[in-house]
Amino acid sequence: MKTMFSLFLYSIQIILPFMAILIAYCCFRALFRSLKPMHPLIVLLNRATGEKMPIMYWENSVGRDKHCDIVLNLPSVSRDHAVLYRRREGWFIADTNSKMGISVNGEKIENDEKVFIGDVINIGGVKLEICRADVLKLKNKGSGDNDYDYDTYSGGGLLTLITVFQMLSTLSVCFSSGDLDYKPVILSGIMLLFEWLVFIVTKYGFGRDNFEIEAIAMFLSGIGVINLCGVDINDAFTQLIAMAIGIIIFEVIVLIIKHADFSMKLRPYVAFFALTLLAANLIFGKVKNGSQNWIMIGGYSVQPSEFVKVAFIFLGASTLKGIQTTKNLTWFILFSAACMGALFLMGDFGTALIFLVTFILIAFMRSGSIRTVVLTCATAALGAAFIFNFKPYIVTRFSAWRHVWEHLNDIGYQQTRVLTYSASGGLLGLGIGKGYLKYIFAAPSDLVFGMLCEEWGTVLGIIVLLMIVFLAIYVRQAGIRSRSAFYTISSCCAAGMMTFQMIMNVFGVTDILPLTGVTLPFISLGGSSLVSVWALMAFIKASDERTYSRE
Amino acid sequence: MRNMKFRSMILYFVIFAFFAGLGYYIFEFAQNSKNWAFSPVNRHLSSDSLSGGKIFDIKGEILAQTINGKRMYHESSDVRNAVLHTVGDGSTLIPTSVQSRYNAELFGYNFITGFGAPEYFSSNQDVTLTLDSKICASVSKKFGNKKGTAVAYNYKTGEVICMVSLPTYDVNDRPDFTKDSDGKYDGVYLNRALSAAYTPGSVFKIFTTMVGIKCLPDAETRKYECKKIKIIDGEKVTCMQSHGKLDLKTAFSKSCDMAFCDIAVELGKEKMTSELEKFGFNSLQTFEGIELAKSTYDVNSASKAGLGWSGIGQYTDTLNPMYMLKIMGALANGGNLIEPFVVKSIAVSGTNDNQKFTNTSERNIISKIIADKMKEMMRFTMKNQYNDSLFGGIRMCAKTGTAEVGENKLPHGWMVGFSYDESFPIAFVVVVENGDFGIKSAGPIAGAMIKDIRNDFVKNK
Repeated sequence: MKTMFSLFLYSIQIILPFMAILIAYCCFRALFRSLKPMHPLIVLLNRATGEKMPIMYWENSVGRDKHCDIVLNLPSVSRDHAVLYRRREGWFIADTNSKMGISVNGEKIENDEKVFIGDVINIGGVKLEICRADVLKLKNKGSGDNDYDYDTYSGGGLLTLITVFQMLSTLSVCFSSGDLDYKPVILSGIMLLFEWLVFIVTKYGFGRDNFEIEAIAMFLSGIGVINLCGVDINDAFTQLIAMAIGIIIFEVIVLIIKHADFSMKLRPYVAFFALTLLAANLIFGKVKNGSQNWIMIGGYSVQPSEFVKVAFIFLGASTLKGIQTTKNLTWFILFSAACMGALFLMGDFGTALIFLVTFILIAFMRSGSIRTVVLTCATAALGAAFIFNFKPYIVTRFSAWRHVWEHLNDIGYQQTRVLTYSASGGLLGLGIGKGYLKYIFAAPSDLVFGMLCEEWGTVLGIIVLLMIVFLAIYVRQAGIRSRSAFYTISSCCAAGMMTFQMIMNVFGVTDILPLTGVTLPFISLGGSSLVSVWALMAFIKASDERTYSRE
Repeated sequence: MRNMKFRSMILYFVIFAFFAGLGYYIFEFAQNSKNWAFSPVNRHLSSDSLSGGKIFDIKGEILAQTINGKRMYHESSDVRNAVLHTVGDGSTLIPTSVQSRYNAELFGYNFITGFGAPEYFSSNQDVTLTLDSKICASVSKKFGNKKGTAVAYNYKTGEVICMVSLPTYDVNDRPDFTKDSDGKYDGVYLNRALSAAYTPGSVFKIFTTMVGIKCLPDAETRKYECKKIKIIDGEKVTCMQSHGKLDLKTAFSKSCDMAFCDIAVELGKEKMTSELEKFGFNSLQTFEGIELAKSTYDVNSASKAGLGWSGIGQYTDTLNPMYMLKIMGALANGGNLIEPFVVKSIAVSGTNDNQKFTNTSERNIISKIIADKMKEMMRFTMKNQYNDSLFGGIRMCAKTGTAEVGENKLPHGWMVGFSYDESFPIAFVVVVENGDFGIKSAGPIAGAMIKDIRNDFVKNK
């Protein structure tokens, strides 16, 4: 009987990675299938030449520059003359500091002007008439909002798969000590109820059909919560609460950034909020594990830098009009320098590096200037050399890199344990809660990839990583379809930030890169980190064209 | 918006970096997962959820087993010390040990299930060795605080009866090697029988003699002249004493350096090298699939005197003890080698599901005529030079060596040989590092080892 039961538990161990593959496949199949070929939304007819110019995007730059979406190659047209963009209310034309200005139906405009089918826009002497897309005589389905008849998986189907996965893994963790422990069942039950509640509210309350992003995030953070059940049930509860807060914040951000132009106006407040947080951190911060990046709020330790990450992306993103009218990044560079400076003062070099890479992503997405990227890297390298010169002890922290087996009990302690126990788990794992890595310092947070490999198996560990990196591949594919450059930039940078953080974490603990104490998105123990990663997911959600289609 | 498509390509740098890292990790995992799993810090190896197979010696003594989740070794510390390099210490620090080589079998580890396979499927297997742990223990103690190795095997069956390597330590009380300032534990994880190659000194003359007999028609009949010192191209070659004129057999037994210097010089660099390479010098030799430290003969840049010294087993010559044991076994057996081995069988615990390793296939590595001549010469040497009393009257064939190692250190002492009678088929190699003359340092250890084996052999009959 006991043998039969242990065989049953082991069969869960084999089923879980296969289910994870299935869930990942279904989620990403649905996401990638939603990326149908693009069709013109409207057509601009050049009155003088009779040329028909299809308008493909929600935001379109107009100008003489060959990089513009609509190129008007006349000397009277400025390089970046105007932006023609679409909002829920209709189409708008905005002058982006042009020399000659714009007139609509013969009237010179000052601010953004709403335009209609049949209107004639004069841009630097070029008269463009706005026409319906069907003047191109294409079979065109792209003009309406309600044409998402994709045969994608229903969100309910995805969540059912995830429910089965979470129930099976809960069962596994319940019996990890040999006897039944019912507490994980309660916890997992609450989690499942909450997940279904969110699904019902977004589907029937908000009328959203797309649920893949939430499903992926729920699947991953669910693994994190259940993983913690095997370590400390109280930590698991805290993590579950953080997950719930994260989901709520996710929905709030999705609502706030619904209007890209409104979001642009929020930027000074967000910047003020972020800098206040960092200042509070520097003044009231507690030193924990060598870096002073914690503040205590009502008995809970909170990591402000995690929330600044979200603000950072929010501030870096911009609508196309915003990019065309503010050519320099001075304010954002100053803000970034303040963030990174504060992180260095706190001794949190890992997060500082994440900010740096995200800064490069944002700067390049906004300017397209390779020079900016090279300059940033050079400045960062100089800065790093300067700091290491004055604080040489930082270098010694990294000196175990690629030599961890020679430092079994000092600076290679964590890495060697991760490798040892990852290998002990093999491809299929020992069973959730049955590992030894969890007893090592910081295992549930920084070393959690090792825990996944030991207890859930290396196959599942790698699937988790692949799901995060596939999010990055997806947002890159989906990018230009989104309703504003604001979403394109913020989603790409959020996914890039998460992927880079994952690289730092996973390859740091496995001694492929030097070890820096950053968390693995979704999985690591840490409320601030989990809330922040859910907040980042809101940018990805917003970039999905379907998200705001039925509201 | 269009240029956003191009600009977002920057994400691929991050994505590519991830896949590069992941690929590298998978590669490392595939290569090293077993080493990682058996690292000394792994608590699974000492946990009560993990059971490990037993290791037996030839007499059924349990050398290692898991009791209540704890890996236990033999109760006698002498035995634990003596068999450490063969049995291992539960980590992968001694890669040539059975616990490292057969850890998957002993602990039911594989990279797919890790240590996680349920008991129903787990297949801890027991390993039986050919070693006699009691003999190993008494031989190991004979070394005192000297470093070195002693191996003996049955040249008819291939079973290694004794294999010890010094320095060693007690697995139950591992010393702190980082505090070892006087080199007491240098190379403690090496099984010197397998992973060391020493300057051979006079035991190398066995090879020079065989090459001489093969390539020079009058090698055995001519007289070699020894005036203690010989100058070749302005460089000195010296002998222990002035032996006068002597034939090859006498020169071999008296270990006269001049005769072998002459043979090497006369044959020349190319002939010497090509003939010795036929014996296996400069090429990969193995023991149960373990790569042995390479035995080398390289006279490419040697002067004529250097070439002379190389024939005496000095110059840059090196010799691996296990490889030398194989040569001894082949000489004893008319030139036919039966490969030595130490793992006798692997069986699933408590079953007869045996995977037996026996070795009956013979491989001719030395021609019978030369092997038999060599056997007689070594017998002659034993009888006239060392006296059979060393081996308690057992008729043995042997040769000692005293390898100068410079640096004001005592020379390495060698003794190699085998039994003359095939009714008691034993070959042996003993090396004592910085032990002084071979007969003085390695001789008593070899004598005691062979006597122990003989007593046991007689008892079993």
